[in-house]
Amino acid sequence: MVDVPDSISHFPSKSSRKFPSQSFTRSSSTSTSAGNSLVINTSNIHLQSSSSQIIAPIPRRPFLESDASSWLHTPPLSPVSSRGISPTSTRALSPYTSLAGNGHERLSISDSGMGRRWIRWSHKRGMRTSLVVLIFLASVFLKLCLGVGSYSGQNTPPMYGDYEAQRHWMEITFHLPIHEWYSYDLHYWGLDYPPLTAYVSWLCGAVANIINPTWIALHSSRGIETVSSKLFMRLTVIIFDALIYVPAVLVFSQTWYGARSRRTQDLAFLMLILQPALFLIDFGHFQYNSVMLGLTIMAINFFATGHDLLGAASFVLSLGFKQMALYYAPAVGTYLLAKCVFLGPTDGSRLFVRLGCTTVATFILLFLPWIPPFSTSPALILDPISRIFPFARGLFEDKVANFWCASNVVIKWKTWIAQEMLVKVAAVLTLLGFLPSVIVMGKTAWELKVWNGSAETGSNSNEHTQNSNQEESSSHTPILSLLPYALINSSMSFFLFSFQVHEKTILLPLMPLMLLFAGATPGSEVYSWGALGSNVAVFSMWPLLQKDGLALPYFALLVLWNRVIGHNPIRLISTAFPFNSLVHLFSAAVYTAIIFLHLLEPLITPPARYPDLFPVLNVLVSTPVFVCLWLWSIKCCIQVGWARSGPSDLVKPDGEPRHAKLSTAASDASQRRPSFIAKPQGDRTRAISLGPAQGKRLRRSSTHSAAGSASSAIGPSPSSLSRRTTGGILVEGHVEASSQ
Amino acid sequence: MKPESDASSSKAWLDPSAWDILILSTVFKVLLFPAYRSTDFEVHRNWLAITHSLPISQWYYDTTSEWTLDYPPFFAYFEKLLSIPASFIDPRIVGLNNLNYDSWSVILYQRTTVIITELVLGAALLRFIRGAVDPPTQRIISASLFLHPGFLIIDHIHFQYNGFMFGILLWSILMARDGNKLASGILFAVLLNFKHIYMYLAPAYFVYLLRSFCLSPSGRIEIKNFLALANAVIAVFIASLAPFALMGQIQQLFSRLFPFTRGLNHAYWAPNAWALITAVDRVLLKYAKSSGSNLHINTAGVVSTSRGLVGDTVFAVLPNVKPLHTFTITIALQSIVLIKLWFHPTYKSFLTALTLCGYASYLFGWHVHEKAVLLILIPLSLLAAERHAYFRTFVIATVAGVFSLFPLLFTPAESVIEVIYSIVWFASIYLPLSKRVYEFPKSLSYVILDLFEKTYLGGFVLLQIFVASFPVIASWKSSTDGPSSNGLEFLPLMVTSVYCAIGLVWGFMRLIFIYLHEDTTYQGQLSTIQ
Repeated sequence: MVDVPDSISHFPSKSSRKFPSQSFTRSSSTSTSAGNSLVINTSNIHLQSSSSQIIAPIPRRPFLESDASSWLHTPPLSPVSSRGISPTSTRALSPYTSLAGNGHERLSISDSGMGRRWIRWSHKRGMRTSLVVLIFLASVFLKLCLGVGSYSGQNTPPMYGDYEAQRHWMEITFHLPIHEWYSYDLHYWGLDYPPLTAYVSWLCGAVANIINPTWIALHSSRGIETVSSKLFMRLTVIIFDALIYVPAVLVFSQTWYGARSRRTQDLAFLMLILQPALFLIDFGHFQYNSVMLGLTIMAINFFATGHDLLGAASFVLSLGFKQMALYYAPAVGTYLLAKCVFLGPTDGSRLFVRLGCTTVATFILLFLPWIPPFSTSPALILDPISRIFPFARGLFEDKVANFWCASNVVIKWKTWIAQEMLVKVAAVLTLLGFLPSVIVMGKTAWELKVWNGSAETGSNSNEHTQNSNQEESSSHTPILSLLPYALINSSMSFFLFSFQVHEKTILLPLMPLMLLFAGATPGSEVYSWGALGSNVAVFSMWPLLQKDGLALPYFALLVLWNRVIGHNPIRLISTAFPFNSLVHLFSAAVYTAIIFLHLLEPLITPPARYPDLFPVLNVLVSTPVFVCLWLWSIKCCIQVGWARSGPSDLVKPDGEPRHAKLSTAASDASQRRPSFIAKPQGDRTRAISLGPAQGKRLRRSSTHSAAGSASSAIGPSPSSLSRRTTGGILVEGHVEASSQ
Repeated sequence: MKPESDASSSKAWLDPSAWDILILSTVFKVLLFPAYRSTDFEVHRNWLAITHSLPISQWYYDTTSEWTLDYPPFFAYFEKLLSIPASFIDPRIVGLNNLNYDSWSVILYQRTTVIITELVLGAALLRFIRGAVDPPTQRIISASLFLHPGFLIIDHIHFQYNGFMFGILLWSILMARDGNKLASGILFAVLLNFKHIYMYLAPAYFVYLLRSFCLSPSGRIEIKNFLALANAVIAVFIASLAPFALMGQIQQLFSRLFPFTRGLNHAYWAPNAWALITAVDRVLLKYAKSSGSNLHINTAGVVSTSRGLVGDTVFAVLPNVKPLHTFTITIALQSIVLIKLWFHPTYKSFLTALTLCGYASYLFGWHVHEKAVLLILIPLSLLAAERHAYFRTFVIATVAGVFSLFPLLFTPAESVIEVIYSIVWFASIYLPLSKRVYEFPKSLSYVILDLFEKTYLGGFVLLQIFVASFPVIASWKSSTDGPSSNGLEFLPLMVTSVYCAIGLVWGFMRLIFIYLHEDTTYQGQLSTIQ
């Protein structure tokens, strides 16, 4: 099934059955000669089935609305873009534009959001090069403005809050010997984060000691709240954010969306940097989540550029900064294992051993001071471990928008089931929660594996396989495009089902969602889910933020965020009927509930019997959204998995003649008809990728096969696929199939 | 800062980019609600209390708080208006004896009023775009004015209502541009009755309206126009002052408005010509002391350092400056400008003359406050894109002027915020505008001048580093040497003041030179508006 040596290996029989082969070949221009067709966003195309002019497969409704449109095809010829279209592509373009004019999803500039408008304007005004710096500085300004406000535990002696915890850690790490870090006065904010946090705290403490020793004086500084110490603390967050999160996001936007326009990259950068949930928690509430998230994004960047070992090390550092990164571990681990499977027994096991060594070495490095040669007793290692994983706490503490807390309204879990049992149930549910993405990733890797194929392909492609294998060890795999969905899936299942979840933890599932969202085109499914997810994530933290005195920034930043991304909940509600997709209807309902709750809260004091009325209502509104996001991530995993591997057992290996037909059909394809599939050379920059594009490598591969770049339209690694798909693949077919 | 308009939005009430600016600016202003507030916050709260609790006859007599009412009557009426909702929101806001009240309600209320009244400025700036010679450029300038760091620092952190009042000024200027000179004059008269500091600009208005509105181009008097303008202005002043005149309080009112008991320099020297001269005096004193030369030293001047007291500055070496001297110099410089304006009463000429009048008053006035620098920067911004010479003047004056406002906020967090904001703001204006107005230097002297100016501008980076690191270094020194107040704690302020003064004086010289020499030969965009 997998090893069709050439041409149409991914040919989906469903669509070929459905359409006469003539029209099918026409619709998919895998031309190798004419440089004039374009990858086009089908979501904007409304084909009339009655039209005699267009002999193309008529995308049915699920296809039009599947999120495939956001990753399979180019971004729409975005209203934001004023870039001239190359003369060769105009012919293919013209029918599109006339068709798109009817599309109700076509956005005018005024609808496209402040971020797009702003970036468009700056590019036009010659600020292209300095834009990233300006965006960064503007975000720093906003962070500082937010920092002027209150923080977790301000003016609440004797324990204060998270702010005091972080400051206290600077105090103890700087003044105490390393082996006392995890055992010193545990009742007053004992250190319970992994060693990297401790080292960072030590560094901050050392700097504070130079500037003003009273900020971190042992004991006497507890609860210090001077303006200068507050500024120092705020600046530490901003500086670590600038050192880790910002570069990670910048690199991400430029590698992962490397095949997209510079404007899209800048927009992605802007969106990721302004994400309000992280903004409010890190720079308002006070935590260092951006470091942990930044390290994970860095790991993703390394995976995308093929530096798996660095990626693994980076992820371990993320774990070493905050154990919360474990939520990502199933996805990251599966990805790396799947890559080993993908590469085969020789290369794969070599990679496996290397990864293992790197991971273990990084862990050892992190915990070095607690390991015997450097510590006095081997038992000391238990100090940090027992602090980092506290199993003694309850199922959930405050009101968290997860499965347990939401269902607790009806089923009082704590009275029904014993604590130990609950832990086990939670573990099993979590496992089941992220299992789909693990399975899909493993299955996709198995189906796409390069090693099995190399034995069966001809000698020519065998040679090529050797080359691509060479490349492969330093390159990413097609399964990379599954990684963001798998990350959402695994972290969301942890959030929903695991033990001891805090409401701030929603930042973890939100991060990969935002990574996808940053490059999504307005109106697409990813965009809708991303906008909804980000807004509801912030909403779910409302009780916490309100307690911190961040009510005003909460509203201000939500308004700014929706303005920046060009999302208008009010308009969404007002246009709910007739809705254009289920997400739309669902979003409208959720936003209505949120606005209603916010209006109700100041007007009604909850009855004495239910003091937590509003937090519970908050949970009941937020949880369904998170459950839906979790289900959606599973759906996407399966879709993308199919798109990558294809239900290829249905493919008949009769590609050769059809390939010829396809080539001859190239000229037809360039006629006045929307063509769904990219011609590689002409418009490589327009090809959208779910995964990162690698400029040079892509270009090289696209020169020797059209399929190379056609596959690049879906995923990051053309070279791995090019062998299997030489001659032409019909990506559209996959999506067709996968969206069924 | 503002994208170009698109056709679809023309029918909308506000185009999307204007909404963007409004939302963005409101968001960070709201985030800054809890920021540092100067005593001006309490001053304005006290005025709310005075106007709300006392009968009008007591307004200018009340001394319950040390922050007595010292703005003209329109501002008092304005406060009276604001006090009405305030009394509903929280009656304690308008409590006369509730001094230094700073609960969340009063912060929320007063900060919000600043944001809302600033919409006057926003509306005027939007109107500027319509009918501009080059709307996209005017958009950038309008956005830059709405987001001016001066307003952020003075209004939204320090606390004042300058945005509102500059809104009126800009409406008045807009009316002059659109040829409605009667409205322009009336609006300016209204503005004068809100805050009398705008008298700095009055000479330019007087000459411009007299020449271009009350006289025909041939020099014949247009009696109808003249009477209309005179009556309207008198009516405005009657509306403002009549209640107090009837109660016989004019003298008391004027004694509040013009306290001539203050010194030459403010506590922190405003970066004007006197700051330079005071600095020269200090240097000469040091020199005289160290070399023992027989300069005549005024002993009173030795004591009078800028110790942060609002008192008279007495020079140690140089001859002392009297209010009359400052007045004479200011009038002399203004009259040079006004003579030119008399012979070229065009809009552009008026705008430049207006700026120069404010500029001269700022540089040579008696007891000028650093906040008055907005009187220069705001009208000058309207000229920024005129051509390269204006743009460069704008850049120098703006950088120096905004930097000179930094010491106004001395709390650590706000000091960082203002610097970062100003950098972002400046870059977003400089980058698009500089490309638009760039001119190739004509001769070697221009290249050298350009080099000097760039060096001067670069010096601000070093200055900022020095100012920021000074307290830390000083604290290290004091911890090693023991506490010693060697009079150096004001050094950063003095250095800032002097360095900014150099730029502002140079900017003035540039602008007056451009105005007097080149204007006839070198036409910019605004020249098309007569």
